[in-house]
Amino acid sequence: MDINVQFKKGALELCILVLIHERDRYGYELAQSVSEHIEIAEGALYPLLRRLVNDGYCTTYLQESTEGPPRKYYKLTAQGELHMRELIVEWKHFVNSVSSLIEKGSKS
Amino acid sequence: MNKNEFLTILHAHLSVLPPEERNELMNDYETHFAFGLQNGKTETEIVQELGDPEELAKEAIGERRIPQEQVYWFPPGQQQPQPASPPAAIKSRGSFATVMVYIGLFFLNLIVIPSLISLWGFGVSFVLIAFSGFLSPIALLFDYFLHGVFFPAKGFAVIVLIGIGILFTIISRYTIKGLLEISSRYLAWNIRAIQGGEKR
Repeated sequence: MDINVQFKKGALELCILVLIHERDRYGYELAQSVSEHIEIAEGALYPLLRRLVNDGYCTTYLQESTEGPPRKYYKLTAQGELHMRELIVEWKHFVNSVSSLIEKGSKS
Repeated sequence: MNKNEFLTILHAHLSVLPPEERNELMNDYETHFAFGLQNGKTETEIVQELGDPEELAKEAIGERRIPQEQVYWFPPGQQQPQPASPPAAIKSRGSFATVMVYIGLFFLNLIVIPSLISLWGFGVSFVLIAFSGFLSPIALLFDYFLHGVFFPAKGFAVIVLIGIGILFTIISRYTIKGLLEISSRYLAWNIRAIQGGEKR
């Protein structure tokens, strides 16, 4: 599999958590929001969302909309928010480590 | 690929999931199509954005088995959590223990098997007593034909002997039954001991 795809997959969970943290969102909306920033297979979102719900990081609720089917909104739980913060710290640490490695490597 | 093809392939590849879980996921994708179409996209476009249904199904099945707190990398100094060790395999007996079991059984059987044989001797003799008791009238008949004299005392003796035969038939029936049970149980126990004794 393309290494780039693996990168994106790893980051996807964090992106989703941040987006839901910003405000409650439904699946299609999440797909659109993520696609604005990174190019991913949008379908991968739904299995991931299911896992987040199973792990207790999110809850869902249905809301009728004036047009189209009812929307399944995802809401971050307290545990989910904690998880998000941990992931952000890890992510920053990771990015810094890789950046410094690249810098050091490309100098010599 | 259109919506129906996408959903059919996905559904087929999700067959390992429990039905309620599969239906929920299918519902998610169907809703996604509905929203996409509402936003003026074509089915083909939406399918392209969603990705390969076969890959998605693999992911959906894979996500379920991923342990909680799954992280895609580990900061330096933090040990990568060891995967839970598989449940300890059922301990099989070492070769030394096996040899000892065989030796132990050998000496035990040196005593038990002769005892069992002597017990069987009792059983067989009971059967023979019963049998000979029933044979006694024939013996009397032979005696009468050979000597041509009939002693009433012998007739009474035959009646007694038949009585004893009936008695010993009953006794030997229970004796043989008991012996068969003891022998088969002892044999089964021996086999169990040799095989390792964990089966019950």
